[in-house]
Amino acid sequence: MGRAAARGLGNRSADEVTVYVDERPVVGVVGRSLAATLHVAELHQLGRNLVSGEPRGPFCGMGVCFECEVTINGRPGVRACQVEVCDGMRVVTTREAPSRA
Amino acid sequence: MPSADSPATVSTGNRSLVRRDFDVVVVGGGPAGIAAALQTARRGLRTAILEEHGQLGGQYFKRRGEGMLRRHGDYRPEGTRLIEDAYRAGVESLTDCLVWGVGDDGRTLLAVSTKENRHSEVVARAIIIATGAYEAMLPFPGWQHPRVVTAGYALHLATCDVVAVGRRAVIAGTGPFLLQVACALLDVGTRVQAVVEANTPYRLGRPGVSAVRYPARLAEFARYRGRLALHGVPVLQGWTISSVSESAGAGLRVKLAPRTGYRPSLARHQSIETDAVAIGYGFRPSSELARLLGCEMRSDPQTGDPIPLVDSHGRSSARCVYVVGEAAGVAGVRAALIRGSLAGGAAAADLGAADAPPHGMRRAQRQSRKLNRFADLTATLYPFPWDLIDAIPCDTLVCRCEAVSAGDIRAVLGLGWNDRNSTKLATRAGMGTCQGRECALTVGYLSAGDGTPSEVPPYTSRMPIKPVPIAALLASASTRETGK
Repeated sequence: MGRAAARGLGNRSADEVTVYVDERPVVGVVGRSLAATLHVAELHQLGRNLVSGEPRGPFCGMGVCFECEVTINGRPGVRACQVEVCDGMRVVTTREAPSRA
Repeated sequence: MPSADSPATVSTGNRSLVRRDFDVVVVGGGPAGIAAALQTARRGLRTAILEEHGQLGGQYFKRRGEGMLRRHGDYRPEGTRLIEDAYRAGVESLTDCLVWGVGDDGRTLLAVSTKENRHSEVVARAIIIATGAYEAMLPFPGWQHPRVVTAGYALHLATCDVVAVGRRAVIAGTGPFLLQVACALLDVGTRVQAVVEANTPYRLGRPGVSAVRYPARLAEFARYRGRLALHGVPVLQGWTISSVSESAGAGLRVKLAPRTGYRPSLARHQSIETDAVAIGYGFRPSSELARLLGCEMRSDPQTGDPIPLVDSHGRSSARCVYVVGEAAGVAGVRAALIRGSLAGGAAAADLGAADAPPHGMRRAQRQSRKLNRFADLTATLYPFPWDLIDAIPCDTLVCRCEAVSAGDIRAVLGLGWNDRNSTKLATRAGMGTCQGRECALTVGYLSAGDGTPSEVPPYTSRMPIKPVPIAALLASASTRETGK
């Protein structure tokens, strides 16, 4: 899948879905985790550490570190590495959110 | 009283509390858990697997999603067959179901759905713990950068999602797992620039030579090394990452250093420009649930990690509680499948559902012992590199969640806080969302001061053993109050 497809442009095949990350369309492949989909789209920072404000992203990939937490379809605290993408999924990250730092 | 066939569902509006009971509950749907469930279900026991993820398989048999299956075929089809066998035998699986605690009776498992605010209480005559293991970590400057990930995540990306962790990558840490990950990365087109192994397991020496007694493992290992050699991937032994920082381009600059006291093949420090770094230092059993259920523990001689004491059939010191797979000590998937089967058979016998020992039990026990010996050999070849922690600069992050540095911990050690729990109170290291899983080994080593890391008591296992949304807990509380 090329960069154009990753940015939501180009033709979609039957296996592709569109997810909205902070309202930006991102094309993903059915069956991939949300974390992998964001990785392909070069979105490596999903949040900021609450204490230091430093950028953070998925680390352990198995649901232990919780550094990939995002809000999905209004539900907060969902680990991106534990869910598969589906069409129309609305993802809100905390990459731009102010921290306590 | 609700019948065993239909769940007792108590609802108030859109919140609900579900009570289920089974003969056997297996916590964790990885290879060991499925193998155990298969044995009990085949003997007619009502068996359920509680699995945190959306599908069975655990880490080793993590399944590809539908779309990936269509595009790329199955990955490790042995896992798919094992899961199908379990369903055919009548095993019920409760997926997206996270066990976070134990009820006041000391036996009822408290679980929550990971998809909605629904709370479950699950009761069983026998509990089989198959909670697996997670990766051991060791900090270095810059390890919190978003392009630094665990070796396991890099592997899942490559195998389940068919995604390259980076165009170029450096793999570092210690353990045979690093070679496997390096090869998987080659499969998805990553240019693996180096495997940086902190120990020297691939030099000829007494421990290494013992590996010839395990031809299958040796063959597997030879395949990995052969592949890496073919692709010109250097395997540096006795080396470590001294820092990771952002380089002028969009990539990372990784600085490597020879480990103190080792004779490296190259005398000077090295620097590599790369896109991603994958790190792994071995695996640690997830023993939180076993500890909560009151199982007696032994201490891993290398890491000090608590490991449940079990007999050859997985029976723990707690009545009708069994521990199988990596949760009972890291020994690989073959051992997990065998130990799972042995425990399933034992649980069935203990519940009176089996008349005679199952066929092949003796052979399974012999194989299990042999695999345990191989696990011991692996630990000898890849000891946890504690001395690397001494080299960590004071401003390096140790607790990722609470942003506590090595210097913060060294400072409170000077004030007399010299075990993990009190260091946690003094600095907040271990109080974050990962509940100390990433930092525990390092905090333990630092807070031991002059003592050996394996003598430092672990973080106390408390509920919830994984974070749960408060909304889910409130749902169950309010349900209880209304008495419905």
